[in-house]
Amino acid sequence: MNWLARATAGEGSMASLMDYYKARNILGRYGIRSARSGYVSSADAAVSFWNRKGKIVLKVLSGKALHKSRMGLVELDLGSEEEIGAAYKRLSKKASRLKPYKIIAQRMIPDGIEIIVGGNVDPQFGKMVLVGLGGIYVEAFKDFALALCPIDRQEALKMISELRSKNVIAPDKKSADVLAGLLVKVSKMFSNGNFSELDLNPVILHDGTYDAVDLRMLR
Amino acid sequence: MKYADLKPIMQPKSVAVIGASDKPGKVGNAIIQNYVDVGFQGEIYPVNIAGYDKVLGYKAYKSVCDVKKPIDLAVISVPAEAVVDCVLECGRAKVKGIVVVSSGFAEVGNTKLQDKLVAAAKRYRIPLIGPNCLGVMDTRYRNDTLFLPTFKISRPKIGGVSFVSQSGSVGSSTLDLISSEGFGLSKFISYGNAAVVDEVDILNYLAHDDDTKVIVFYIEGVNRGKEFVELAKSATKLKPVVIIKGGITPLGASAAHSHTAALAGSSEAYKAVFRQFGFVRAETLEDLTYFAKIFETQPPVTGKRIAIITNGGGHGVIATDAVYQSGLELATLSKATERALRKVMPPIVNIRMPLDIGGDADSFRFSAAMELVSQDPNVDAMMMIILFQTPGADEKAAQAVINLASKKVKPVVVMSSGSSYTQSHVKLIEESGVPVYESPDNATRALRALIEYSRYKEGLI
Repeated sequence: MNWLARATAGEGSMASLMDYYKARNILGRYGIRSARSGYVSSADAAVSFWNRKGKIVLKVLSGKALHKSRMGLVELDLGSEEEIGAAYKRLSKKASRLKPYKIIAQRMIPDGIEIIVGGNVDPQFGKMVLVGLGGIYVEAFKDFALALCPIDRQEALKMISELRSKNVIAPDKKSADVLAGLLVKVSKMFSNGNFSELDLNPVILHDGTYDAVDLRMLR
Repeated sequence: MKYADLKPIMQPKSVAVIGASDKPGKVGNAIIQNYVDVGFQGEIYPVNIAGYDKVLGYKAYKSVCDVKKPIDLAVISVPAEAVVDCVLECGRAKVKGIVVVSSGFAEVGNTKLQDKLVAAAKRYRIPLIGPNCLGVMDTRYRNDTLFLPTFKISRPKIGGVSFVSQSGSVGSSTLDLISSEGFGLSKFISYGNAAVVDEVDILNYLAHDDDTKVIVFYIEGVNRGKEFVELAKSATKLKPVVIIKGGITPLGASAAHSHTAALAGSSEAYKAVFRQFGFVRAETLEDLTYFAKIFETQPPVTGKRIAIITNGGGHGVIATDAVYQSGLELATLSKATERALRKVMPPIVNIRMPLDIGGDADSFRFSAAMELVSQDPNVDAMMMIILFQTPGADEKAAQAVINLASKKVKPVVVMSSGSSYTQSHVKLIEESGVPVYESPDNATRALRALIEYSRYKEGLI
């Protein structure tokens, strides 16, 4: 069984997935931006989360699903009662085999570059922070840089400069600075906390800032 | 004490060889023979329970305890099951350091025996290198515990490179290679199972050793990750540490629950730590020697503008490609240099980078081109391509390159390839302290390693 199969089956280690909401609160405490979101347990609740403003996203959270978009567990770009109602119905049906699960509603973040920022505990060296090309490209290109925590701004910039996709992810000094700031915060949070693994994937870089739109935090 | 003191092992005044033999071909004989061959200046005490009177002319002892004189180093080469008792005897005889050459411990699954060995060494607080290793060499001090006969493996000349290898085979073959390269060795340490003295102790010792200018490390793993990193922070600021790690673990071999953990496998972690803490990472065993010789001989440089001077057009083009592909830049000569070159070069020479001084270039042209280009403020380092197949490229041309490179104003690497005529000139150049590479690609990789390390040391990205 490969790592993916193991991960999706939830086997293999004692690590436990932290509640999304709790995890998002921790990000907030370190000043790490993430898309505003809330659990919804009905189509109506999803509609009221939308509140007739802009677009929202609905997605299924389950310990059994690491690849949400590939498994069809994300519904993007929902901007009407009908769209939200239909999407909620589709997701509930798909998720029935992934119990226990929750459905989360999230503000739609504008298009941008998708990256991954994460943390891992290396058995030899300790806590490490990672940055790379994210979203669906994580596995396809395996373009990432890694460093031992904690890192400072200069080390964060070095990591970014190591990426093959550096000119896409951080095409100018300002965007590199924004990303470096995020990496320093994540390294600090991961160093301080009692975590074994962390994925912020994707983090969307857009309009001179960023938002983490999905996260997995494991104790 | 945080780190083991390796001085008694590396620079002993007296050596006991436990398991000494008077039969040629035995390990316990080769070790003593080597001490004789390399001209060790201290005392030698052969020890063997068989009770020889003498081994190779030296008075022999039944036990190390019978010597009754100070012993700095004991080299133990007896069957595995007898090693622990020998170590305990060394403890009683107040031996200051031990090298255990014998194998048959953790490397064959006998961890219990290795645990006993560690306990014995710790009981008397003796630094112990091995087991299952070749031991150590200090070329200046003429200390040599290797059991490889000098006629089979050449001993490198004295120099500033210290080479450390967990593996004995990588150690001995690379050592043999080093001796054929034009640079010298300070110390060699093969540390095998790292049961007591490990890479952290060795890195600390060599980082503070004045004779060592460059450290070259082959490791298969690190025992104490956190201490290794802590020490590396200061060690890599003192001198370049070229490193290669053998043994790749498959990506994400552990049970990962996240993309991050799946990507950040053990090999990736090593690579990241090497990069982050200023190691010079070698990708291949050849890199170890390529990098070692540029670091030993050339001054540091943080600029990336490389000037290429060549007597072969194609090689200049390939070298230019290599320079760009490795993230370095081709230098653009200043107007003043261009004018000066125009005055001395014949009309067939195009005054631009890469500077092709022509297939008929002689020593005068090599000398003039190098002299002018090396003084150009737009040039950070130079690659000299000398193809000795052409009529004008002779010993005088080689000497011209040597003369200029010896000034060490800017780093110079030479690229040259060919058979016997070339090789004799390559040797001449390397012995003068200028590194020579067989391909533009290798020359460029070495330059890049030098530049990257110099930038790390200066705190530049």
